[in-house]
Amino acid sequence: MPIEFKRNRVIFREEVRVEEAEALLEALQKKPAAKVDLAACTHLHTANLQVLMAARACIDKWPQDQELRTWLEAVLIP
Amino acid sequence: MNPLPNNPLLEQFLVESRELLEVIGQKLMQLEDSPNDRRVIDDLFRSVHTLKGNSGLFTFPEMTRVLHAGEDLLGKVRSGEMTFSRELADRLLDAMDFVGMLGIEIESTGCIDASRAADSARLGESLRALIADFPDSAQSGAAGKTPVTTKSTAVSLTEIPPLSKVPEALRLEAFRRCGDGEKFHWIAYQPVPECFFQGDDPFHRARQTPGLLWGSVLPSEPLPPLVELDTYRCSLKFHLLTAAFHAELVEYFRYVPEQVEIVALDPLWLAISECEPESRAGIENDFVAGSPGSEPQRSPESVEEAGAVTRILTAQQQILALDDRPAWLGGRLKAVAAVLRNLANSLGNAEAEAQIEASLAAAQASGCGLPLLEWLNAHRSQFTLRLVPQSAANESRANGEEAPAASDPSKATGDDGIKFGRRAEDSQTGPRSLKVDQAKIDRLMNLIGELVVEKNGLPYLAQRAEAQYGVRELSREIKGQYSVINRIADEMQDAIMQVRMMAVSIVFQRFPRLVRDISHKLGKEVELVLEGEQTEADKNIIEALGDPLIHIVRNSLDHGLETPEVRRASGKPETGTLTIRAAQQADRVVIEIVDDGKGIDPAVIKRKAYEKGLIDEAALERMDDRTAVNLIFAAGLSTAAVVSDLSGRGVGMDVVRTAVEKLNGSVIVESELGKGTSIRISLPLSMAVTQVMVIESDGQLFGVPMDHVIETVRVPRRSIHRIKQSMTAVLRGRVVPLKALNGLLGIAAQHTANADDELSVLLVQAGGGALGLLVDGFRETLGVIQKPMAGFLSGLSTWSGSALMGDGSVLMILNIREIV
Repeated sequence: MPIEFKRNRVIFREEVRVEEAEALLEALQKKPAAKVDLAACTHLHTANLQVLMAARACIDKWPQDQELRTWLEAVLIP
Repeated sequence: MNPLPNNPLLEQFLVESRELLEVIGQKLMQLEDSPNDRRVIDDLFRSVHTLKGNSGLFTFPEMTRVLHAGEDLLGKVRSGEMTFSRELADRLLDAMDFVGMLGIEIESTGCIDASRAADSARLGESLRALIADFPDSAQSGAAGKTPVTTKSTAVSLTEIPPLSKVPEALRLEAFRRCGDGEKFHWIAYQPVPECFFQGDDPFHRARQTPGLLWGSVLPSEPLPPLVELDTYRCSLKFHLLTAAFHAELVEYFRYVPEQVEIVALDPLWLAISECEPESRAGIENDFVAGSPGSEPQRSPESVEEAGAVTRILTAQQQILALDDRPAWLGGRLKAVAAVLRNLANSLGNAEAEAQIEASLAAAQASGCGLPLLEWLNAHRSQFTLRLVPQSAANESRANGEEAPAASDPSKATGDDGIKFGRRAEDSQTGPRSLKVDQAKIDRLMNLIGELVVEKNGLPYLAQRAEAQYGVRELSREIKGQYSVINRIADEMQDAIMQVRMMAVSIVFQRFPRLVRDISHKLGKEVELVLEGEQTEADKNIIEALGDPLIHIVRNSLDHGLETPEVRRASGKPETGTLTIRAAQQADRVVIEIVDDGKGIDPAVIKRKAYEKGLIDEAALERMDDRTAVNLIFAAGLSTAAVVSDLSGRGVGMDVVRTAVEKLNGSVIVESELGKGTSIRISLPLSMAVTQVMVIESDGQLFGVPMDHVIETVRVPRRSIHRIKQSMTAVLRGRVVPLKALNGLLGIAAQHTANADDELSVLLVQAGGGALGLLVDGFRETLGVIQKPMAGFLSGLSTWSGSALMGDGSVLMILNIREIV
């Protein structure tokens, strides 16, 4: 499972594909304050990215992948 | 010489595209004469549209893109938003030449060279530019005539990209690299909202962009609140800065060319991106010609060089003299310093660099441009004096990494665009195949038919010359001439037949897929073996063969071949074999469909046929196994216990027989229980010439198609037995029913016997079995062109047609199946 939903955390792992977007959206709707952990994420599909953007999700851990981190920091830091 | 992959669809596409291009070319020229002819415009639009659609079947984005742009352009013309002009025609003709060239390339190499992507994009954009420019070009046709300058192309293409978003350090780094001759591109990538459904991940595509320096994600529309967000609709766009070549980018984005806009970055924009547009324009005018990497159209004359340098220096002075104090002053100062440094370098003024650096440091420290300005004022004369035009030009050339014409799409709007000429003076690469209307071939065929018939008149003439006029010499000469004409006519007939011949592979090629799909569905393992695919037959025959074959193959898969478990249990290999074999035998093509399945049980068939009322009890007892299995072709018989969606409705094999018989063919099934079934279809090679046997009855001549004739025999009158009204005779150990032709045709006369009191019997195959026809005598067999009965006569089912004999008389061909 590339996305793991814990009580108050959403953990992204490796490559997160388009199929996950729906579940992610649902989870963030239920718990808008959930913290997003991207540390192990190497890529996320555009659909997931736009959910994170729209949700103004609180990013708890940035990806270790430096390039991805640069991309995401530019849009996800409020 | 032709490495074209064996793909009939592609071959057809190439042939069709050649024709369409020809039509498009004609229409374009026609339109030049009468630009308002709606019909022509519509035709033109349709042709381009078709061609574009067809090209989309293959992966030739280069071709599709140009055609798409052409289609859009014509769409505007069609809807009256644009008027047709000579320039438009030129551009479209160029584009079509390009498409034609791609076609030739595909034909000879099987693919399109990647280098074409750039040309394609350029042509596509130049066509689109026509749409965009239209209002201007309507006012002044001269717009396109002005020499293309870097400035005009860059600005006409798009708004200057929002480079200010790029972190300054990165931007200045890029600017510095521009000085070293590198080129940068700005990409605005706006994915279509539905792209997720096409399996696209724009973010991934953006991340993987070659030479990516910087990129950003932006919402293309304000993102809605979370509850309203549609996850499967892409509402993001991307801005990318890359160091890759234009061609490379076009290749990378070749599947989404309409979603990206690639702009070659003017180094100037990198340097002073924050300026107000107006002031920038002013500066740019003076400054752009000399900025590094922009490949100005520099002339070697020192006067012009000097002018350019002067303008650059003036521009720098103006920049430095600006007395505002913006937050980006640091960047501006660096930019000016970089320009001066490059200028000094290109003019061979090495010691200036250190001085500029020092002034820059001072300027940065003091927070205003004064130190740099002072240095510039002091050293201005030095620049102009030191001017060494040649070396400057050479250096800037050496720095240029690629030819600007190839990389800059907008340049094609000028007169220097590469032409993809297929002009009249070029050597024509003639198409290897010729598409001819079938009606023309048919006419040729008919003419040959008449020639063959007329030629048959010569032996009669020879006979008459000898018998009636007693001139043996002439008779012999006529016969000599006849043999020559005969040979030529035969060859001619053969040649025309060849034109109409098609290989059975056209029909066979659909089977691998069909067999695969059906066998998977049924859970059976089937290996399909195709043999003799190169066997040829007349086009009509081949085309009519498709459906019967599909029926048979389906039947074999459904009823014939067993599931792997059953096969294993009966000691056969798990994988069943289905062989479809075509071969030519004399003047017929024979197609066999053989499976090694469970075979047909004659007892079951007989019982079924009896239950369905197809045969009576007597027939049930009498019928041999061979005849019984052929009952599967009878209408309304299905042996499958369950009707499936594949077969079992009792129509299949009946349809097969009807279709085959319509083609003057025959179909026979042979089966061995437990070993397999073989169905054999025999068809004439060509329907054009029918072999008929001429028979005589009551002084009249009739033709009987040779397909039906089994043999000719003479039967002594005393061996004919009468059983009530029916006559029978025993021929080769079998009881054969006899019928008198005269009786069938309603001729009152009795059949005449020969001197030994023997009657002539023509044994024919009719319906289910053999039948003897009593006739008066046999004549020769002839190859005739059979004409169907037309008009009122077409209702006469007794005759299948008529044919002309060599002596000019008409021969009526009997429809055996109908009369018995």
